[in-house]
Amino acid sequence: MESIDHISLPALAATASSPDRSEIECEVMRFFEEFRSPLLRYALSFGISVHDAEEVVQEVFLALFLHLRSDKSRKNLRGWLFRVAHNQALRKRTTLHQQVQTTSFDWMEAHIQADPSPNPEERLFADQRTQRLVAVLKALPETDQYCLRLRAEGLRYREIASVLGMSLGSVSISLTRSLGRLLRADRS
Amino acid sequence: MLHENSHPTDQELLLAADGELSARSARVVRTHLSACWHCRARMSELEAAIVDFVRVHHQALDAALPPIGRSRAQLSARLSDLAAKPEANSVRGFFHFTSARYPTAYVCFGLLSASLLLALLTGQALRSILSIHAPMAVATTVEDGVEPNRKLTPGATRPVSMHDVCAVAHEEVVVDVPSALREKILREYGIVEKRESDFEIDFLIAPRLGGTEDPQNLWPEPYASSIWNARVKDDLEERLHKMVCSGEVSLKTAQNDISADWIGAYKKYFNTDKPINLTTTVDVSGLDSYVSKLFAKMWPSESTIREKSSHDPRRPMCQVLIRNYHLVGRIT
Repeated sequence: MESIDHISLPALAATASSPDRSEIECEVMRFFEEFRSPLLRYALSFGISVHDAEEVVQEVFLALFLHLRSDKSRKNLRGWLFRVAHNQALRKRTTLHQQVQTTSFDWMEAHIQADPSPNPEERLFADQRTQRLVAVLKALPETDQYCLRLRAEGLRYREIASVLGMSLGSVSISLTRSLGRLLRADRS
Repeated sequence: MLHENSHPTDQELLLAADGELSARSARVVRTHLSACWHCRARMSELEAAIVDFVRVHHQALDAALPPIGRSRAQLSARLSDLAAKPEANSVRGFFHFTSARYPTAYVCFGLLSASLLLALLTGQALRSILSIHAPMAVATTVEDGVEPNRKLTPGATRPVSMHDVCAVAHEEVVVDVPSALREKILREYGIVEKRESDFEIDFLIAPRLGGTEDPQNLWPEPYASSIWNARVKDDLEERLHKMVCSGEVSLKTAQNDISADWIGAYKKYFNTDKPINLTTTVDVSGLDSYVSKLFAKMWPSESTIREKSSHDPRRPMCQVLIRNYHLVGRIT
């Protein structure tokens, strides 16, 4: 039997069609550069702290590494990333006993920055409008909020449906309903 | 059904703005909007509401995002740690967890499961090593589940024009099946909940070839299929899409061939009896003994596997081999 040492490892490497680990690590880092901010914003929308949201995002990309290393499906990886982030953020919020007490819109209300317009009258008007919008958004059902946020991060309806486990029709109805409420609030 | 003379609903306007309507319906809405000021005004209001939401969404959140540098470095370090760990980490974690909490019964169960797993994987490894000697025999073997049950999944299409089919490159079409539909398909195929993650719900006739998101056109394709797997089918779909759009094959023929027997269609359109990605010429002399030796070294115990992961520089190469030949990647 031939000794292991007699096999040319570089030659064997050339035969491999699967990427080796360093390639997967690089691929994960590329995804991180592209999706870190959208995922972080989405995780924050669960009302968890910035620190916890960062941890959620880290867990998402570690899971992506394991996913790619296991040679699993690469279809719709963007939807997959948001789905994992959604589940991790929910788990984090439940673990931290923050459920319901805080929503991202409570958090946003506290952090939203004043309009930079130099005209005090315009500034007041813009701030009032923003507060009115935030009040409407806070009153939306949680699923409708998720739909809006995922759409705002560029996800297609099919991806949103996959993240939230809804039908395509429900995503469409949810987005229309939410925008309708925002419109009515703006008119009032 | 949308008509040019009837006002679209807000939902239809939003679907049109988001590019989620079929090409025909989108054209109808566009034509209507060009003629109707009332609907154009409603569309503008919807767009304004989107602008408002995006502004509020970013206004607070963007300012709160910490700089990326620290988290990038942290992830890079954690990935390196993870990459250095054996892939069986999760299995070890299971044993550690169960032994800590349920010392006797679960450890016995774990040992029994491990024995069964080893027996199963040894068989797979031997079969796969043999397959290196006889690739043709393996390549033409069709494993269970790689072709759908014709009664449950005969294939289903929707009316599409050549423009609909060819307006978008095949690779740009990414379709994920909603989870409720996924569960329905798995139930129909009698797949129990535990094994759901082993399957991908695949379209028999790809959406870009006019296939519908219909239970009659979907089936659970096993991830573990080593030869005729989802990637091979993706290659076929891409090939057929190109051939349909270049006029070499009619759309109807492509749909019929892929739904009747996608593996047969692959052989026909690639003029091969095995997937192209397996036909690369590989010098496998000595490979079987190499893999056997590595397995012989790795089988005895989990601690040996762990030890090899940190000391044997050839281990990553073994993993590449394992993945490449679809041996038993998850055990190492």
